[in-house]
Amino acid sequence: MSMNVNVRATGGIPNWAKALTLPIILLVIWQAWAMTLPETSPAPAPLKVVQSFAELTASGELIWATIQSLGRVLAGFAIAMVAGRSLGVLMGSSRIVRENLDPIVESFRPIAPMAILPIAILWFGTGTPAALTIVAYAAFFPLLINTIHGVSRVDRQLIRAAQTMGLSRLRTVLVVIVPAAIPSVLLGSRLAMGVAWTAIIAAELAVGAKSGGGTSGGVGQMMFVFYAYSIDLNGIVVCMIVVGVIALLIDRLFRLVEHKLLPWRN
Amino acid sequence: MPATLPGKSPAMTVMPEDAPAVETARPNAATAPGRRISIAGVARGVWRARWFISLRAFATFICLWALLAAWVSSPLQLPSPAKVFDAMVGLAAKGELLSQTLISASRLGVALMVATVIAVPLGFAMALNRELNTYLDPIVELLRPISGIAWIPLGLFIFGVGGTLPVFIMAYVAFFPLLLNTIDGVREIDRKLLAASRTMGITRRAQMVHVMVPAALPSVMVGFRIAFASAWAAIIAAELIGSPSGLGFSIEWYRQLLMSPKVFSFIVLIGVVGYLSDVVLRTVQRKLTPWADGMGIDQ
Repeated sequence: MSMNVNVRATGGIPNWAKALTLPIILLVIWQAWAMTLPETSPAPAPLKVVQSFAELTASGELIWATIQSLGRVLAGFAIAMVAGRSLGVLMGSSRIVRENLDPIVESFRPIAPMAILPIAILWFGTGTPAALTIVAYAAFFPLLINTIHGVSRVDRQLIRAAQTMGLSRLRTVLVVIVPAAIPSVLLGSRLAMGVAWTAIIAAELAVGAKSGGGTSGGVGQMMFVFYAYSIDLNGIVVCMIVVGVIALLIDRLFRLVEHKLLPWRN
Repeated sequence: MPATLPGKSPAMTVMPEDAPAVETARPNAATAPGRRISIAGVARGVWRARWFISLRAFATFICLWALLAAWVSSPLQLPSPAKVFDAMVGLAAKGELLSQTLISASRLGVALMVATVIAVPLGFAMALNRELNTYLDPIVELLRPISGIAWIPLGLFIFGVGGTLPVFIMAYVAFFPLLLNTIDGVREIDRKLLAASRTMGITRRAQMVHVMVPAALPSVMVGFRIAFASAWAAIIAAELIGSPSGLGFSIEWYRQLLMSPKVFSFIVLIGVVGYLSDVVLRTVQRKLTPWADGMGIDQ
């Protein structure tokens, strides 16, 4: 939205140049500030960050860590998807189930994913399963709630029509309700994927911090190693940028899917 | 037959609220006028009352937990509900529950205040001034995808282990939903309101105070609730990794001491405080902006 390349009719500075102004000024100030510091200072600087990025990419470390984190996010997301969607359809289509489970769901929701990390560590140790638990837990709620929302808002006319045509209850759920709930489910997936990505970074960071070593891997762990062992702030900034870029890509990808699957919504 | 539930449930927000249970408002058979009070009627009314549904759901949950705990039979991995309750009473008696909650809550308060003071005026300025928006929007869009959590290692380096880090992380996390919702709220103010107020010849300042702020406030409040929810999730991570006190610290501390009942007590506390805060915020939202309902903003 910011990349509007139209030059304004009145002339003057084009919008894209205005958009770039502030980021460039900030980068220049940052670089200038970093250059006033002694050579040994660990403070990050834009040029050093670029250099660090090139090194980490060339050695394959960064790519491997990103793949590892993404793999965990996908695995955790898949677990949450199965659990969240099936429970969501159940809760959305049956009032009795919904009424009875609602209090439990509502009381777990305000518990931050990171709060269950200590339990996950107690149960699974500091490896991948603990991280997966956090991701699945974090992704579960947006998926569940949006599925319930989608399912319970299906046009009643559709359901009545299906029943008039003599469809069984199960078939109504499968061929009418589930497809009609797709928009909500997609929205839930996008939100869930976003929180899952945040959660994996947090989990890797904390697992790294609490296990005192490099056993878990991933971008979060990499950041922690840069913080605690090699004191490489440039590396940390590289990781932060990677985290941001991946988050952006995930978001855009899901929006694209929504756009393609549901053209009537736009 | 699938039930359609009344009430609105915004799917877009981080904490979509829930439709009130269908049964809440229904007078039960026993109290309906002109009917004989029957025990069966009262029983049915109680059975379907919202509080009773919650109660029995919790009772079932706790029974299942107790059974599971008995089956696992490892108080380290899964302490029984009774043990957790004991631990909780003990911690409450020592005042630890309250003191750690207050520490976290005050950090949260400071962070939300800082974020609000910066984000809301900035949001107004960006929505009203196209030039400013062109300059600032790229920075916002560049920073927004970088989650607050990812700032923790760098924040640890800048602020060290202590109380400043969680405040910084939370203020950062709370900033974006507040800013974006404020911008949206101001942009979507009904043009007719602005035109009408101008026709009536009020000053720009009065227009700001009496028209723009009230019209944008519902959206700002929604932003505030999202900001609160994100900050509440972030504080646990920030305290767990880089703070010597607070709720997030406590759960990790007792895990290291292998005192599981206390770990569970604090987790329960985090849920309770988060839930109660949202209830309070929702009430404040309703009282502060009663006109929001008519604007199509979900309460």
